Amino acid sequence: MQLDPVTIQILWNRLITIVDEAATGLMRTAYTPSVKEYHDFCCALFDADARMLSHSTVTTAGFLGIVPEVLRNFIAKYPPETLRPGDAIITNDPWIASGHLIDISIAAPIFHGGRIVGYTLCIVHHLDMGGRMSTLESKDMYEEGLKIPILKLYDEGRLNETVFDFMRANIRVPDKVLGDVRAQLVANNVCSRGLKALLEEYRLDGLEALGAEVIDRTESSLRRKIAALPDGSYRNVAVLPKVPGCDDEVVVKIDVTVAGDGITVDYSGSSGEVGAAINCSYNMTRSYTAYPVKLALDPHVPNNDGGLRPIEVIAPEGTIVNSRPPAATWGRTMISHLFPEIVFATMEAVMPESILASNGGCPANEVYLHGRHADGRSFLAIAQHSGGFGASARHDGYACLCFPNNTRNIPVEVTENEARMYYVRKELRTDSGGPGRNRGGLGQEIEFAILDGGNEGARDVESSVRLSGRTEDGPFPVFGRLGGRNGRGSGLWHNGGPVDHGVYRRLAPGDRVRFVLSGGGGYGDPFEREPGRVLADVGQGYVSIESAEEEYGVVIDPATMTVDADATRRLRAPGGPPAK
Amino acid sequence: MTDSYRLGIDIGGTFSDFALVDDADGAIRVEKVLTSAHAPEESVMRGIGDLSGAIPDLLGRTSGVIHATTLVTNTILERKGAKTGLLTTEGFRDILELAREVRYDIYDMFIRLPEPLVPRRLRLGVPERVLADGAVLLPLDEAAVRQAAAVFREEGVGAVAVSFLHSYRNSVHERRAAEILREELPAVTVSLSHEVHPEPKEYERTSTTVLDAYVKGVAEGYLERLAEGLAGRGYRERLFVMLSNGGTATVETAKRVPVQIVESGPAAGVEAAAYFGRLAGIDSLLSFDMGGTTAKLCIVENGRAARTRSYEVDRQHRFKAGSGLPAAVPVYDLLEIGAGGGSIARVDDLGLIRVGPDSAGSAPGPACYGLGGAAPTVTDADLLLGYLNPGYFLGGRMALDRAAAEQAVGKHLAEATGLTTLEAAAGVHEIVNENMAAAARIYVAEKGKAPSELSLVAFGGAGPVHAAGLARKLGCPRLVVPPHSGVMSSLGLLAAPVAFERSRAVRQILEAVDLAALEAGFRALEAEAGELMPDGAAIVRRSVDLRYSGQDYPLEVEVAAPCDTPMTKGDWEARFEALYRSHYGKVDDDNPVELASIRVHVSQPPPALALARPPATADAPPKAWRDIHISPGAGMERAPVYERAELRIGQEIVGPAVIEEPESTTVIGPGDRLRVDPLGCLAVDLVIHRPAASDDDANETPRPAALGRP
Repeated sequence: MQLDPVTIQILWNRLITIVDEAATGLMRTAYTPSVKEYHDFCCALFDADARMLSHSTVTTAGFLGIVPEVLRNFIAKYPPETLRPGDAIITNDPWIASGHLIDISIAAPIFHGGRIVGYTLCIVHHLDMGGRMSTLESKDMYEEGLKIPILKLYDEGRLNETVFDFMRANIRVPDKVLGDVRAQLVANNVCSRGLKALLEEYRLDGLEALGAEVIDRTESSLRRKIAALPDGSYRNVAVLPKVPGCDDEVVVKIDVTVAGDGITVDYSGSSGEVGAAINCSYNMTRSYTAYPVKLALDPHVPNNDGGLRPIEVIAPEGTIVNSRPPAATWGRTMISHLFPEIVFATMEAVMPESILASNGGCPANEVYLHGRHADGRSFLAIAQHSGGFGASARHDGYACLCFPNNTRNIPVEVTENEARMYYVRKELRTDSGGPGRNRGGLGQEIEFAILDGGNEGARDVESSVRLSGRTEDGPFPVFGRLGGRNGRGSGLWHNGGPVDHGVYRRLAPGDRVRFVLSGGGGYGDPFEREPGRVLADVGQGYVSIESAEEEYGVVIDPATMTVDADATRRLRAPGGPPAK
Repeated sequence: MTDSYRLGIDIGGTFSDFALVDDADGAIRVEKVLTSAHAPEESVMRGIGDLSGAIPDLLGRTSGVIHATTLVTNTILERKGAKTGLLTTEGFRDILELAREVRYDIYDMFIRLPEPLVPRRLRLGVPERVLADGAVLLPLDEAAVRQAAAVFREEGVGAVAVSFLHSYRNSVHERRAAEILREELPAVTVSLSHEVHPEPKEYERTSTTVLDAYVKGVAEGYLERLAEGLAGRGYRERLFVMLSNGGTATVETAKRVPVQIVESGPAAGVEAAAYFGRLAGIDSLLSFDMGGTTAKLCIVENGRAARTRSYEVDRQHRFKAGSGLPAAVPVYDLLEIGAGGGSIARVDDLGLIRVGPDSAGSAPGPACYGLGGAAPTVTDADLLLGYLNPGYFLGGRMALDRAAAEQAVGKHLAEATGLTTLEAAAGVHEIVNENMAAAARIYVAEKGKAPSELSLVAFGGAGPVHAAGLARKLGCPRLVVPPHSGVMSSLGLLAAPVAFERSRAVRQILEAVDLAALEAGFRALEAEAGELMPDGAAIVRRSVDLRYSGQDYPLEVEVAAPCDTPMTKGDWEARFEALYRSHYGKVDDDNPVELASIRVHVSQPPPALALARPPATADAPPKAWRDIHISPGAGMERAPVYERAELRIGQEIVGPAVIEEPESTTVIGPGDRLRVDPLGCLAVDLVIHRPAASDDDANETPRPAALGRP
C-alpha cells in the first residue's frame, strides 16, 4: 500500500489513539491510587520488528528510553516464532525493563491474519514488591523484594498460576497489586483490539510501511533541529548530594557533543556503583538523557523510536549511570531525575531560551506509609508532592509542579482514607522561589501525624519520606540559571528533630513528620525584574517585603503597598547600595 | 383563549435562539436575534417582542419558559465574576493553587495553567479538622471565622467559598461557618463544598465550590432580572432553566448552585438530537454538532445521554484534559474536538498536513470569506471539493471566493506536500473527519458501545457537510439531519422530557447485599423521584453501578424490578461480567463484585412537536448539477443538487447528492440512500464496509461454562 501524507497522518494519529485508549482501560480497572491518581505507568505499541510506534500521552517521562529496550529484551528470550495468540510476557528485572523491581512490564504479541503484526506493552509502578520496601538503605537487589525473571504469564490464554502464587506469597498487599497487574492485561487487550480494528479498516496486513514513515519522519525532524545547533563539545561535572547512610561520593561527568545532526552524551568518568539503592540501569539513564533533548528541540512531535535515534548515550558499565546486577536500584531516580537539568546546565550557553532552571522537587519526593487499621486490615499508601517549577526565559516557574517525571499528587483526602494518618498542613512557602528576572515557582511545606488505631500491638506505622537530598548550602542546590538565584527550603523533621530522608522509621500515634520541598530556581538577574511584578508577588504573599528589597532591589512601602520608585532606582543603580 | 404555548430560549455568545411551540397543534416558530453581551436578558425581551408580533399577549398565553445560557461559562472565561474569598481548613489554603501538581503535556516545558479564581491573599485558613471517617479532631474556631469575615469585608469580597477537608463525610463545620459568615457578611453569597460537590478529592471539590461562588452573584442577578422582565410582559408561570445534564430545574434551584448550568446550551442541543432520533425510531445515537470552531459529540443510549462529573472550564489548551479549572458537576459527557469549518490546515515539521485545533473563527475567517484570512481552512477545502455552493452560503447572504480558497490551499498545502490542490483539499476534509473519528472512537469505546450500534444525528453549520464521511469512518450505519439545525438548542429545550434521577451509594460486596432492604431502597428512590413529577404518567427505570471491589470506576447495568428474587445476584453479576468483558477483553477472577450504588430514573413521555412544512405533492427535481469530490480514488463526479425546502416528505434520493439549505449543506456519497421522514428529517442509510474486529488473543484463562447460580 502506497502511503501518502494524508494517510500517514491519519494512521499515525490512530496509533496514538490506540495507546491512549489502553491507558484509559488501565486507569479505569486499576485498584490502587498509584495508578488511578499518581499515573506512574505507560502503554506503548510496537510493530512486528519491535520498533515502538506510539506511547501513551498520559505517562511519566522515565519510560521514554526504556520502553523500546524492554520489548527487544522480551523477544530475545521469546523469539516471535515461539509466541502464540493469547501469550503475555512479564518481568520486573531492573536491567531488562525499567530500572527497579517495583515496576512490572507486561507485553503481548498482536496476531492478525495468522501472524504477529505488532506488540503491546504496559509498564506500571506498583505499590509493593516485598523486600525492605521503599528505602534507600538496601545494599543490593536481593534486599529489595521479589524478582520476576522474563516468564510467560499467559500461555495461549492460560494463566501461569505459579507466577501469581509466588507474587501473592511475597508481597504485602497482594489483592491490590495483582488487581493492578490485571489492569495491565486489560490495557494490552484494549491496545491489541484497537490495532486489529485499524488494520482491518484500512485493509493493511502489517505496520511495516507505516512504521518506517513514523520513525523516519520523527528521526529526521529531530535531526534537523540538532543540525541547527552549533557543533561543539560541552562538559560539566556535578557533585551530587550524599545519600543517607552511604559515604560514597557520587559524581556525574557529562560530555555533550553536537556533531552535524546527531548528539552524543558521554557519561564516562562518572562514579562507580554505590551500596545504596540509587543505581541506574542504562535504560533509565538513556530515558532521562533523551528527554531534555526532546523538550528543548522537538517537543511537539509524538514520541516513538525515531526520537531516540539521533541521540547516542555512552555510559560505561559498572558506573552509577550503568549499573550491573545485583546493584540496589529502588531509588534510581535520585540520580536519573537530575540528568535533564545537568544537560540543560551543560547547554545553557548554546540554547539559553530552551532550558529551565532547576526544579525544587527534583529528584521526586515519595512518602510511604505501612501499617494496620484498627480492624486489622493492612494498608500500604504512597503519596507524592512536588516542589517549585524552574523559571525559564519565558515565564516564572509555577508553584509545585512536577518535573522531570510527571506524576499527579495523591489527594490528601484519598491518602487519609487509605492510611491511618492525617495531614496537618500542605502549604506554599513564601520566599522559597529562587529570585530572578523570572522567579522560580514556590515550594511547599507538608506535615502529617499518625492516628491511634486503638489496637494494641499494631499501633505504629512504618514510614519513609524520600526527598531530593538537595540543600541550599550543599554541593548541589536547586540552581538558578543565567544570573537567577537558587531555590530555597529543604529538610525533614520527626517530632521537631531533623532526620535522614529515604529510610524507614517507626512512627507512634501522635508522632509528627514535617518536610519542606524547595522552590524552583530563578532565571536571569532579579534586579532586572519589573518592580510591578515584584509588588504583585508581595501582594500575593509569594515574596516578602524584606526579600523584595534584598533580593530584587525593589523597595515597597508597607503602609500603601506601593513601590518607592526613587529608593528602588538607587538600590538597583550600578555601584548603588549593595543588597544587604 | 384556550390555546397555550411553550417557549425555549437559548442564549449563546453570538446569537440568541427562540423556539415557540403551540401546544394546540404542536406547530413551531423559531426566531434568532443577536445577543447583547452586557445584558443578555435584553436579547430575550427583543426576541419575545419579535415573536409577539404575530401572537398578541404571547407570554400571558405561555404555560412554560425553559432557558439555557452561556452566561455562567462566559463569566468564568472573561473573569467577570464576583471578587471571591476562600475559607479552608487551616494549613490547606493553597490547595486551590497547588491543584494536582502535574503537567498536562509532558513534552512542553512552557505550558500555561489557568490563574486561580481566588488570589492567595483572599484564601484564609481557620482552625478546624474533620478526619476521613467523619470524626471531629479539632472543633471549628468560630472567632477565627469572624476574623476571616472581617478580612473579606475589608477587601470588599462579594462571594465566599467554604471548603473544609472531609466535609463530604461530615459537614458540621462548613454549615456552622456559613451561619457565621451570613451573620457577619449578610450581603455576600456563600457556597459550601458539601452542597456543591459532596465527594472526596479536595482540589476538585474546592475548585467546583469556588467556581460556584464566583458566578453566583452574576447568575442570580441575571436570572432575577429575566424573571422580572418576563413577569412584566405578562408571564405568570414558573421559569425553568436547563441544567448541564439535560435535567430541568426551577430558577430558584438554578440560583442556589449556578455552576450546574455551565453547559446548559450544549445539553439542550443533545436533547434535540435525542428527540429527533427518537422520532426517527432510533434510541442509540451520536449527537454531532459541528460549527465554526469546534465539533461536539455526545452519545445517547436508549434515549439517555452519557453523563460525567469530570468537566473543566477555561482550559488553557482547549482540548487537553488537565489544562482547565475542574467543575465537578453533572454534565452531559460531551466530547469537544478542535474541528470546525474555520479550523486551519497547515504542513507541520514532519511534512504532514495537520488540521486544527486553532480556528480562523468568523474573523478573519476562512480564505474564501474574503475577509482577510489567508490560511486554508476546512471550509475552503469543502468549497473546492464542490460540497459548498459559493453563491448559496448562509442562503446567499455571503458570497464565497473560490479563487481565494484555491490560492490558500495551493500555496500553503499543495506546494509543500507535492499534492495537487484538489488532493490537498481532499486531504484536509479527510483529516478533519479522521480527527473527529479518532477522538470519537475512544469516547464511544469508553462508554462500552460500538459505533456500528449508533446512528449519527448531525447539525450545526458544518455538521451535515462532514456527517456522512464521519459516520462512514466510525462505521455508523445511519445518518439523520434534523430540520432547523440552526436553532437546535432552543428546540431541545422544548423537546426534553421532564426527567429526574435519584441515586444512593451502597458500597457493599454484592454477595453480602440484603436484597429485601435494597428493594425497599429502590422503592424509596422511585417515590422520591415520582413526587417531583407534575403528573403521574411516568416511565421508571432502574440501574445499578457495579465494579470489582477496590476499583473506582463502575459500569452501569440496567436492571429489572423487583430485585428481591433468588436470580438477582447471579443475573446482575453475569450482566456486569459481560459488559466488563466487552469493555476490557477480560474479567477479574480474584476480586468480588461490589454494588457501588443504585439509581432510579423517572421521566415523562417526550412532548410532541410538529414542524410546519409546506405540502409537496411531487418529488422535487434537482435544482442544479455540479462536480463534487467522491473519494481519493474516484476523484470528482457530477452530482445533483437539491433545495431542502422543496423536498417532498417521503422523497428518496440515492447518492452522490447535495442537499442545500440556508443554514447548512448535506453531502451524501455514492450508494447512500436518503429519505425525507415525516418530520422533515433527512434520514440516510450509508454504504459501509467494515468487518468486525476479532478478539482472539485476549488474555483470559478459559472459565468454566457453568457460571449461572441457582
